[in-house]
Amino acid sequence: MSALVEYLISGVAIGCGFALVGSGFVAIFRVTEVINFAQGTFAVVAGFVAYSGLTSAGAPQGVAEALGVLAAGALGLAFGGAAIGRKHTSPLASLVITLGLAVTAYAGEIAIWGDQPISFSGLQGDFVLAGAHLLRQYLLVIGVALLVLLGLGVFFTRTYLGKGMTACASNRFAAEVVGISVRRMGLLSFALGGLLGGFAGVLLIPIQPLSFNSDIDLAISGFAAAIFGGLRSFEMALVGGLVLGVAESLVGGYVQASYETVVALGGMLLLMLWQARRRVELA
Amino acid sequence: MLSATDLVVRLGSVTAVDGVTLSVERGEMVALVGPNGAGKTTLVKALAGLVRPASGTIAVEGRLAYVPEGRHLFYDLSVEDNLSLGAWRGRDRNPKRIYEVLPGLAGLARRRAGTLSGGQQQMVAVGRALMADPEILMVDELSLGLAPIVVSDLADHLASLHQRHGLALLLIEQNARLAFDLCSRAYVLENGHIVASGSSAELERSEQVRRAYLGVGSTPSKVRSREGDSSESARRDGSA
Amino acid sequence: MILLLAAASFLLPLWLSSANLTVYILLGLYAVTAIGLSLLMGLAGQVSLGQAVFFAIGAYTAAVLSLHGLSTVVALVLAPLLAAAVAAVVGVPILRLRGHHLAFATLAFQLIVLSVITNTPFLGGGLGFTAVPGLGIGKATLSSSLGYAWLTWGLTVVVMVVTLNLIRSRPGRALRALATSEAAAESVGVPVVRYKLAVFALSAAYAGVAGGIYVFFIGYASPGSFPVELSVELVVMVVIFGLGSVWGALFGAAGISVLMQVLNQVGTLHGMPQYMPTLLSYAAYGLILVVIVMFLPAGVLPGLRRLWARRPGGREDPMSRQIAPPIASLRSLLRSTRPKTTRADGTPSPEQTRRQ
Ligand SMILES: Nc1ncnc2c1ncn2[C@@H]1O[C@H](COP(=O)(O)OP(=O)(O)OP(=O)(O)O)[C@@H](O)[C@H]1O
Ligand SMILES: [Mg+2]
Repeated sequence: MSALVEYLISGVAIGCGFALVGSGFVAIFRVTEVINFAQGTFAVVAGFVAYSGLTSAGAPQGVAEALGVLAAGALGLAFGGAAIGRKHTSPLASLVITLGLAVTAYAGEIAIWGDQPISFSGLQGDFVLAGAHLLRQYLLVIGVALLVLLGLGVFFTRTYLGKGMTACASNRFAAEVVGISVRRMGLLSFALGGLLGGFAGVLLIPIQPLSFNSDIDLAISGFAAAIFGGLRSFEMALVGGLVLGVAESLVGGYVQASYETVVALGGMLLLMLWQARRRVELA
Repeated sequence: MLSATDLVVRLGSVTAVDGVTLSVERGEMVALVGPNGAGKTTLVKALAGLVRPASGTIAVEGRLAYVPEGRHLFYDLSVEDNLSLGAWRGRDRNPKRIYEVLPGLAGLARRRAGTLSGGQQQMVAVGRALMADPEILMVDELSLGLAPIVVSDLADHLASLHQRHGLALLLIEQNARLAFDLCSRAYVLENGHIVASGSSAELERSEQVRRAYLGVGSTPSKVRSREGDSSESARRDGSA
Repeated sequence: MILLLAAASFLLPLWLSSANLTVYILLGLYAVTAIGLSLLMGLAGQVSLGQAVFFAIGAYTAAVLSLHGLSTVVALVLAPLLAAAVAAVVGVPILRLRGHHLAFATLAFQLIVLSVITNTPFLGGGLGFTAVPGLGIGKATLSSSLGYAWLTWGLTVVVMVVTLNLIRSRPGRALRALATSEAAAESVGVPVVRYKLAVFALSAAYAGVAGGIYVFFIGYASPGSFPVELSVELVVMVVIFGLGSVWGALFGAAGISVLMQVLNQVGTLHGMPQYMPTLLSYAAYGLILVVIVMFLPAGVLPGLRRLWARRPGGREDPMSRQIAPPIASLRSLLRSTRPKTTRADGTPSPEQTRRQ
């Protein structure tokens, strides 16, 4: 029983991280139709920057994480500039560009932080729930992720800027007609994607050490979460992240840790195929 | 207030607009008619700054808004949001003032734009354009897919806006009768060229225009009687 | 041109040092794989970010079979066949996906296969196989690198001839239509789904045979030998000189292999940190991808070749005309990811006809 609770809670926490990465995919895709392959990079860079902030710069906990998230946002903006800054770049060409950026980022990350996994301790201590000893950090991850996603929802549905971005997603020509610059909104969405990835990074790194090439796993998991809502729905990305996180955690706990990825990837493949099938039927 | 000189617009290998010169003066209502594929939509897109012309000049004085062909609403947003987004470049984002001009929209404010009927959608498209507080409004295909009664209703609204606020209008219409009735002046575009222009009355008398656009012999009076009254009065208002 | 290449590839190994000979052999193997990927991406318009998986399948097939006593030659013949068979089976569902979905699906497939290998003791697990025998018939084994060099480049020349002929053939021309617009290809009666599957399987076969030779030459295979980075490397090789071009893939493989060799030498210079070679190679791959796709989406080679074709009496490579579409048509591919109106058998659905 206590094992189950532990797997569930840790799964939910990890799943919230996936949901954050996935929301980054959604934020960017809705506005630009680009899949940002470098979505995992944002998380890794944010985690690393926070680590440097804590260790080298001596920044207090909280401030260091905030710096990491902001750095990821700035990186998102820069990547967006490369991916969609030039006119007539097709969405798939943009995907290949972001793939290139992610690989280029490896070089920078290795140069600055080396090629070994990095971690730092987040919220200290643990708590007991139904007999299970759980890290307090899990609660922090879940709480912050939900708050961030809630804020994201408010931003898109309640603020004028957010509605402008939704408008680009809804009908890009019409957006141009009313004078919204779709390209500028696209850059903004990349910055937003960077922030979301950054949150995932600084929240997850105390639980799961990150190394420069952790971005692939994060990106794949986030993409799988985002696919739940057809890359367009933040709510479904949250659901997808939670399902994925819990499933991985249960498989890792009860079957074998090394099958986690197979389950996640296989699930994502099946989901995509099912969606493609449904599209055929609906069409 | 809006003028284009020797405008050429190419879309790929097609020269859709080929040396067009036209102008719309302050407070004037001008129609642009022509067959399918003449280049009307391309021309207004260029005037709205959405397509880059290959050569020629465009001069716009004052705020310009545009109702695109096929409406192009934000279908998954509410009517209210659609309207307020129309003021993206303006200052006043509150759609209340539109409800005064187009009262039909007030009751639809919370509906999703995608769930509206064609006429309601066109009303939202016009309202969204008006949110920019334009001094000149370009409307591409006002009547597309709409029942005549709805069209004449919309035409009435435009006429009264013109009358009360001095709104200038560039109206693109397949229905030349409606266009001539509503507007005091018109251009005829064919194959990217302006082939005729002048006051609506002159054009209505021209043999060529009558045959091609008003269906001469096929009882124009019948067409007139369908939309007749309202658009007639609109024109009189317009020239007053 | 091909003859020239054949002669050069036969003679060159005689002058190469043994270290360079290794590079030369790997280059040939990458070239064969890249040609397949180029065909898939440029001609069939399908983006694969997991092409190294078929290289791995070929390598593991050859390794497992020969370690269980099967003749290495037979194992080498079975390597591409199994890779193609896997591609044909996996391709049926996966190729329904378009654009970025397919990109992620192929990547996911590679990761799944690597994970399964890591977890299967029969396949060597995470440590993989060492002591894979050399290629040979009975007692006569191919022991020198020179032999592998000739074998590899013989294969490369064969693959090039086959591929060039395929491109010029009727199905090849139909495929080109497919890369530009799937709907258009369908409307003129091209069996789109069958052709896509065939190209997918063929590209897998190329990767499979290259993987087979690789494992006999190197002598070991582990999941770590075929990382996602290898797939990315292949994509870089393919885009650098233009998608869909056989010569482009060859030169891309050559250029990248040589560049990596140079960077490796720079990175291991005295006083460099230990991670320097990796760092340099990542920087190179990444920047090449970004710069090429941003500024030269048609690749470096097509421009040059167009000039070559314009010389007096020059004959344009049938490929060069359609180099540009792929990246451009990626857009149309992506569009079609949303409302997919094609049935599995490639006929337009009645709804599609109705809509038009
Ligand atoms: N995106 C495009 N690419 C290439 N050619 C185009 C494109 N859009 C329109 N055209 C061509 O440009 C010409 C003018 O088109 P346009 O839409 O401006 O005509 P129109 O007068 O508005 O027609 P309609 O009355 O049917 O709306 C047509 O010949 C059309 O085929
Ligand atoms: Mg039109």
